[in-house]
Amino acid sequence: MADFSWGSRSPLEHALVAGAHGARGTEAGVSLTEIRDFDLIQVMARRGQAAELAKAAKARFGVAAPNAPKAVQTSDAILIWSGPDQFFVLSKGGKHTMQTLAPALSGPASLSDQSHARALINIAGSKARIMLAKLSSIDLHPEVFPIGSAAATSMDHTSVTLWRGDDRPDGQAVFSLLVFATFAESLWHTMLDAAAEYGVEISHSEELA
Amino acid sequence: MRIVCPFCGERELGEFTYLGDAKPVRPVAGASEDEVFDYVYLRDNVAGETSEHWYHGGGCRAWLKVARNTLTHEISAVEPAAGAGARQAVK
Ligand SMILES: [Zn+2]
Repeated sequence: MADFSWGSRSPLEHALVAGAHGARGTEAGVSLTEIRDFDLIQVMARRGQAAELAKAAKARFGVAAPNAPKAVQTSDAILIWSGPDQFFVLSKGGKHTMQTLAPALSGPASLSDQSHARALINIAGSKARIMLAKLSSIDLHPEVFPIGSAAATSMDHTSVTLWRGDDRPDGQAVFSLLVFATFAESLWHTMLDAAAEYGVEISHSEELA
Repeated sequence: MRIVCPFCGERELGEFTYLGDAKPVRPVAGASEDEVFDYVYLRDNVAGETSEHWYHGGGCRAWLKVARNTLTHEISAVEPAAGAGARQAVK
């Protein structure tokens, strides 16, 4: 039998062309950065065990997991609300995988590895919010959607998990979104079209922030 | 039309899918053919206040029970359907 080797590849490998896109001449108004090679585990409370999961998650992460549409930064992960009594654990470098999380959480929760099922895209820049307003019906104004806000919503008829993490060092807001791998290319093209008039800086990164 | 999801907040109609009347209750095992036929096929066509199941598939993927007026589209109440989320599980 033939030997198979499974190399992980980004769902945006073909669509993402690093560099400038759209309007030129001024500083790019939107930066789109795909984050590659992350660990993403979905944690869903078993029936009637939400309180037990909350306790176990607090013990595991040192902070309470979100029980409302929020994203919580821990020392080495981001916990993102994904629905009632469920959340994502997003991290890098094998710190929070099925193997390491199961002993702590699999009693009160079902765990599901989504690491290769989603693409992760960071959106920043002076026109990021204006661009997202074309695609999202969520109000992303800083007074309504401050740092730590999250939403399970749809953009361009595609389900996404959207949240606002810490600002960039230059003070600009960063919006992050997780999209199903098979829809990533479609949403990527839609975002490029929406952002083109502001000038886009495209890249990919291995770092979460 | 917008629906205020009890988990997500106010969202546009496009994020939701309509299932139907939330009132019919599954007959007990051994119920008569008439009762099962009624449960599966027969629906009231209400002009006014209804109770409906909606699915927030473009959001938190929770099932909701929505009180809606079919004449005005006014929504007077939204609550998680039985079993939505682990916390609201039916006892
Ligand atoms: Zn919802």
